[in-house]
Amino acid sequence: MDRLRTRWIIFSGLAIVVIVSYLITIKFKTAPSPATLKAYKYLDTLPEKSVVIFSFDHEASSLPEIQPIALAMLRHAFKNDLKIVGLSLFAEGTAIGYDLLSKTAREYDRQYGSDYIFLGFKPQYISAILGMGESIKRVFPEDYLGNMTDTMPIMLGIDSYDNIEMVVSIADGDRTVQWVEYAGARYNQKVMAGLTAAMITSYDPYLSSEQLYAVVGGLRGAAEYENLLDKRGGGSRGMLAQSAAHLYILALVIVGNIIYFRNRRRGGGG
Amino acid sequence: MDIGILVAGILTLAVFSFLYKDNPVYKAAESWLIGLSVGYALVIFWQTTIIDLLLVPLFSEGRLILIIPFLLGLMMFSRFSKKTSWLSRIPIALMIGAGAGVAIPAMLYARTLKQMSASVMPIIENGSLNIEAPVVALGVISTLAYFYFSREHKGVMGSTARLGTYFLMIFFGATFGYTVMSRMSTFIGRVDFLLTDFLHLIK
Repeated sequence: MDRLRTRWIIFSGLAIVVIVSYLITIKFKTAPSPATLKAYKYLDTLPEKSVVIFSFDHEASSLPEIQPIALAMLRHAFKNDLKIVGLSLFAEGTAIGYDLLSKTAREYDRQYGSDYIFLGFKPQYISAILGMGESIKRVFPEDYLGNMTDTMPIMLGIDSYDNIEMVVSIADGDRTVQWVEYAGARYNQKVMAGLTAAMITSYDPYLSSEQLYAVVGGLRGAAEYENLLDKRGGGSRGMLAQSAAHLYILALVIVGNIIYFRNRRRGGGG
Repeated sequence: MDIGILVAGILTLAVFSFLYKDNPVYKAAESWLIGLSVGYALVIFWQTTIIDLLLVPLFSEGRLILIIPFLLGLMMFSRFSKKTSWLSRIPIALMIGAGAGVAIPAMLYARTLKQMSASVMPIIENGSLNIEAPVVALGVISTLAYFYFSREHKGVMGSTARLGTYFLMIFFGATFGYTVMSRMSTFIGRVDFLLTDFLHLIK
């Protein structure tokens, strides 16, 4: 019963800390990390009508963290009048990807088929990534809505990675690695990523070896990107809550250690 | 209120109820999530793989070459019988062979050769000491020493391996920290949804 009560107190405390700090409307400025700044600058300096692939390679469960990153980067791309080719190499990311793309396109009054397209999901991601190096229209003969891709205006000048400036993989797992290993290494395609925070350390070797162009990582990365874009979103809104939650966890770690060492000194073990 | 938001809000609260203790409401939400995820993935795979890549090209467009992968696919089901299970080895062998052929060169290049070249950095850069270079070299060598089991970890080898464990601990610590941050972000994302879309407490 004691353990249950302790757990209940800890979780309730965290909920209170997060909810209260969420209700406080302080604008939290976050200095951009070099990786986020690099991603922003690249999309910002691309000429109008350049083509960027957004690949939604994630599960629904990571949406709370992925959505602010995806929205910030999509808003930036649409704002700068870039053409977007959306797709998914993860079944669960398909409907989410289409939804995020359509929602952002509406904000900037962009037209489906001429300013952006969603190609949908393709199984066997390795053969899909490799196949797109030869012909995107052959890998995706139809888009998500069932239109023939070779009849869509946006696809008229696009056939392979030769016509793509950047692949942005929005991921919560290792799908970005496959983009790096197959599109990057074989076709010299530039790849950047929007990742959940848990994945950042796994991708550091690819970032430092310059195989991955840039990374926008976690809610913090989303907040940094939103600040650069000067458009407040889910990332900026959550930063105060995240900082407060981290301080709360730090306090718990300190209190837990004090209790542990006190009990050990009394001879009671852990 | 939109029915989707209402259902999502109720299910979010149902999942959070587990933080108090395991209960039937949480179990129901958990089962819904698993059922919907599996059902959704099954429909997507059925449409994009079986229908789009096999049945339509084979029967509507008459691409008879697809009979070969169709038969290879059927052979996978031979595992259900002891007498015919040997047949499944043929498609498995093909898959492993093709997979390894495609993956090994790419992985060797991206995960080994490129990482090796990135680990070698100039110690003096633009006339000043690049502190990152010796730290990276020390980290790579000592961590590899830790995973080298053909020689007993004693003397210099033991000290180097021990140093490697510190580098590993730093990596695990950073990963753990980021994972905590990730889980907090997920929680904050749901709180954002509950307070803005579900309860309309903030705009």
